[in-house]
Amino acid sequence: MNRVIMHADMNAFFASVEQQSNPGLRGVPMAVTGSQQRTIILAASYEARAFGVKTGMTLAEARQKCPQLQLVAANNRLYTHVSAQIIKIFQDYTPLVEIFSVDEAFLDLSGSLQLFGGAERIAYLIKSRLKARYGLTCSIGIAPNKLLAKLASEMKKPDGLTVITPERVAEILEELPIGAICGIGRKTETVLNRLGIFTCGQLGRFSVPRLKARFGIIGERLAMMGRGSDDSPVVPPEQEPEVKTVGHSMTLPRDISTREEIARILLQLAEMVGRRARRYGVTGRTLTLTIRYADFTTFSRQQVQAIALGRSEEIYRAALKILDSLLLTQPVRLLGVRLSSLQYHERQLLLLFEERRRQQLTESLDQVNDRYGEFSVMSASLLRVKGKGSHVISPAWRPEGIRNVGVR
Amino acid sequence: MQEVIDGIRVGVIHGPGNRLTPVWFDLHRRKHSIRQITNCWRERRGATELIHFHVTDDGALYELTYNPVSGCWQLELVEVL
Repeated sequence: MNRVIMHADMNAFFASVEQQSNPGLRGVPMAVTGSQQRTIILAASYEARAFGVKTGMTLAEARQKCPQLQLVAANNRLYTHVSAQIIKIFQDYTPLVEIFSVDEAFLDLSGSLQLFGGAERIAYLIKSRLKARYGLTCSIGIAPNKLLAKLASEMKKPDGLTVITPERVAEILEELPIGAICGIGRKTETVLNRLGIFTCGQLGRFSVPRLKARFGIIGERLAMMGRGSDDSPVVPPEQEPEVKTVGHSMTLPRDISTREEIARILLQLAEMVGRRARRYGVTGRTLTLTIRYADFTTFSRQQVQAIALGRSEEIYRAALKILDSLLLTQPVRLLGVRLSSLQYHERQLLLLFEERRRQQLTESLDQVNDRYGEFSVMSASLLRVKGKGSHVISPAWRPEGIRNVGVR
Repeated sequence: MQEVIDGIRVGVIHGPGNRLTPVWFDLHRRKHSIRQITNCWRERRGATELIHFHVTDDGALYELTYNPVSGCWQLELVEVL
């Protein structure tokens, strides 16, 4: 049976949400920036894009392109809230919704077509509901698989709807540059170009053994991409594989060098990792510390722990131990703490009185923070730290479950 | 979201050209002024090409469908916003 897959991509999502929540920003060139000091353009409104402002630009570059550009600090909580509402709208039409990122999703509509009168009608229903409820537009692609649906949604922006029917696939791909396909990055594109492959048509006809010789196991997949074949299923959140790690990282407002400053950031990261691990009943046997120097050199060190870690202070102590084993040669720009080798379990029965007391204390602190917000109760050394918590929406963000990272 | 199939009276501006712009419609003896046409598309059903409009008034989203052969309008969907 032919599948019918939809890819919905919200247009300039963060910027559009800001324009809808503040009418003064509508129709003017504006952009959303990170809430931290060292930040870049996260999203630009279509009015700003007309001046050449793009995601990833520094603020200086953006202002050079558009001096009247209005900048708004990201309100990640608002974006994740709106995203969760949008996903609920998608789920009205099929339970098979795969959240690709905070502003993109795949829907498998194969079983819903009769019920709602076809894929195009579902697309228009979604677009109209988003426009009427939130004032937001999205570009939608409909095709026989995820690869082509994503390609289709890129074809008309903003507010587009593109349908690629099975009989049009070969014609569309024949002259399409390989870089237009999701999954073929710049490096792969360069290597393919060296092999004389510039279009999807050429990629689809290229010798699979030669592609395999050059790219290994990916070679066959590349050939399939060139032909527009993709049998990967739409995976709803409840069918996603269990997460293998719980981690947080933080780019610092300024480079830091002293152990005291680094330790304070590690304490904060340990609390964020510990909170999320405890909320979803996981502990981890391996702790990884990631450090990025001022010159962007990045490295990680990990240690297997004697016992699985779950409490913030345990995670902090383990991270500190790794830090103390290192000789830092430059100021630090980014720090990350990650728990892996996760064990999922119900509440453990602790036999030692002291252990039980510590666990009860942790649970009480968690309850207060659940009720009054993250970092309502914290270590005294964090009191003076500004901007605690996550300020970035992770690509793995999901509206529910362990991947639901609370953001500020 | 409520799917309905119901004949309905619609006030329309014809033109310029073959353009159709619904302006108001009657529902349950109440006249609803159309605030925004959020989407419009054509769908072929047999020999007929139906024209669908998604429109909003101040409280809901509606799908109005025009059959150019019979000249009739139908209300197909209501969703309270």
